[in-house]
Amino acid sequence: MDQVTTDTRERVINLWARDGYISIPDGNSIYIWGFVDDPGKSAQLPGPILVLSQGETVTVTLTNHLSEPVSICFPGQSGVKAITSGGGESPVEPQYQDGKLVSLTNFAAPGQSLSYIFVASRPGTYLYESGTNPHKQVHMGLYGAIVVRPKDYMAHHPKHRTAYGAGTGTEFDREYLLIPGEIDPELHQAAENGQSYDIRSYKPRYWTLNGRSNPDTDLPNFAGHLPNQPYSAMVMAEPDEKVLLRYVGAGIESHPLHPHGNHTRAVALDGRLLRNGRVDLSYKRFTVLVSPGQTVDQIFQWHGLGYTPANTIPTLLPGLRNLAIGHTGMTMWSGSPYLGVKGDLPVDIVSYNEAGEYHFMLHSHEEPQITNWGEFPGGMMTMIAIYPTGTLGQHHGMLPITPPAP
Amino acid sequence: MNVVKEFWAKAGSITMPDDVTMPFWGFAPDPDGAPQLPGPTIEAKVGDDVRITLHNTLAEPVSMIFPGQDIIPDPVKDENNTLVSFTQHALPDGGTVTYSFRAVRPGTYLYESGSSPEKQVQMGLYGVLIIRPLDYYPIESTRTAYGIGTGTGYDIEKIIVAGELDSALHEKIAAGLPYDMLNFAPDYFTINGRAYPDTMNPDNSTSQPYGAAVKTESGKRVLLRLANAGFLTHSLHLSGGFFRVAAGDGTPLRTYFLDTTYEKTTITIGSGQVYDCIYTAGMPGEIYLYDRELRYTVNADRFPGGIMTRLQIVPGRP
Repeated sequence: MDQVTTDTRERVINLWARDGYISIPDGNSIYIWGFVDDPGKSAQLPGPILVLSQGETVTVTLTNHLSEPVSICFPGQSGVKAITSGGGESPVEPQYQDGKLVSLTNFAAPGQSLSYIFVASRPGTYLYESGTNPHKQVHMGLYGAIVVRPKDYMAHHPKHRTAYGAGTGTEFDREYLLIPGEIDPELHQAAENGQSYDIRSYKPRYWTLNGRSNPDTDLPNFAGHLPNQPYSAMVMAEPDEKVLLRYVGAGIESHPLHPHGNHTRAVALDGRLLRNGRVDLSYKRFTVLVSPGQTVDQIFQWHGLGYTPANTIPTLLPGLRNLAIGHTGMTMWSGSPYLGVKGDLPVDIVSYNEAGEYHFMLHSHEEPQITNWGEFPGGMMTMIAIYPTGTLGQHHGMLPITPPAP
Repeated sequence: MNVVKEFWAKAGSITMPDDVTMPFWGFAPDPDGAPQLPGPTIEAKVGDDVRITLHNTLAEPVSMIFPGQDIIPDPVKDENNTLVSFTQHALPDGGTVTYSFRAVRPGTYLYESGSSPEKQVQMGLYGVLIIRPLDYYPIESTRTAYGIGTGTGYDIEKIIVAGELDSALHEKIAAGLPYDMLNFAPDYFTINGRAYPDTMNPDNSTSQPYGAAVKTESGKRVLLRLANAGFLTHSLHLSGGFFRVAAGDGTPLRTYFLDTTYEKTTITIGSGQVYDCIYTAGMPGEIYLYDRELRYTVNADRFPGGIMTRLQIVPGRP
């Protein structure tokens, strides 16, 4: 199916594995290990999102600033090679010492660097993560997402702004990555203090989307008080737009992600389109189980029956139960059921609503996980925010996510 | 054809790589031999009449259920109408029971105890049943899991049964002491009753006889019969690339009219579920099949261990 062409494009990515701290809304600060693309910065959670192009040869150079060996696995990529000390390339393989496995792939010792090379041969959504002591290192935060653009991708051409190529039914207007994770604060603290890390006592108390816990999940990219958690998790779109949701299972547990009042159509799993020849195997779900090591690409659209920019009141109003109206002193509701209209709210309720947009909670349906150590609201929860047509800036829902100009 | 087996439910001992031993209960294929974990693999062909007689040497009733098979379990209740077993059972200390069914569907299935299963399945009373399709013959064109035309042709097959072991629970149950399943806290995680690196050892005649290593050539198709006999979910990940999910719980995903098979790097298998996956071996080298629910890749608290095994790929013959 892929044309045989000589693709000479090359991409060089430098990553550092180091430590750092992240912030939880209850005031707790968690020690993490993570990848970062700037040697002057501390670790970020998740690692930098890598946006690659189908066909290009990618070199990822890892420099290890941790006190134990670290490595990177690229699940779903084929033909990954490592550059050996002699300068040659050799396929990556599990590493042994004295006959015992010490790493699932070639690793960099503390202070050392190692380069991996592969051709991003297929479009899709993928993970990258450490393959050394992974039960500790992945949970500590050494993970990130990879997006491979299809060969014919064109950002400004609707037919060619797709996840898997023109004509594959994966056209989108905006795209978002959602990367669930878990944090066991006592295990993170054990790593911070150089104590024994015993995964048998694994008991998460915090849950994250894109490294943040709610309500930080709803804040913008590069929020000032979250320097090491740069990525928002909030999904923002306008009516009838096609939203590509890329779920990336970086955690070590499964999470059932569920948008209130809406379905999503799963179109690809683990970076492979759900299609055999002409047969479309995609399916709609209102809860999608994001399981460890796995990715799910979905297309989501919100339609307001009867809604037009000129007539902003949909004929069929979303059920009030599906809009984020809570009894927690704060709400995302506008005070009015009409899209684009703000109304009155009780005096003791603070609303974060901006422009009369609809907010639908998107959250793990394992409800203890939508808390911060038992306090609701928190954890693995964000919003799908539907803004009135023409009011949402074009920069929302674009990858790569770049810092705002100073 | 008739497939006639006799099993003995017995108490025995199993060993983990760090030399920890623990008692277990398992099925033995003969009256004098040691029980094994998992139990002996039962092999039949579509159309065969399968008859299994179970002899019980344990001090409590034991039974066998065959999920997915054409057999309707007849539960046993006590005088208070409380359920004792999901199916007819063999009484303690020498009782026997016989199960009969016709194999009608090809595939990979679990068999396990239907008596106090929360205890007995954890103790090790489980195994695998393979039913070959009617057109099966062990040569290239007819070696399939579900029949010609189902996309399940393979060159080699491997049974991979995931499980967990709670050694403290095993000690208590074997000693007849009170235990609380709510305190279930497994400390060992297994493929075919073994924890890594023992999973890479070949088949042998120990209490855990079935290895989980694969050695094959580039381009060969490996049928991975992935079953979860444990109580927890496991997400099995292949580090070398993709495999094709060809069947779930004995139902092939491809028929003459429609192909709904799909590719994955990782498959999440719930307790009691089975998936048949075809991996076409890639470039020569070594890859690992392991549980991406990474806390199950340890023995006690040390990596590597638990649910991991190795696939070695050698160059294909020209």
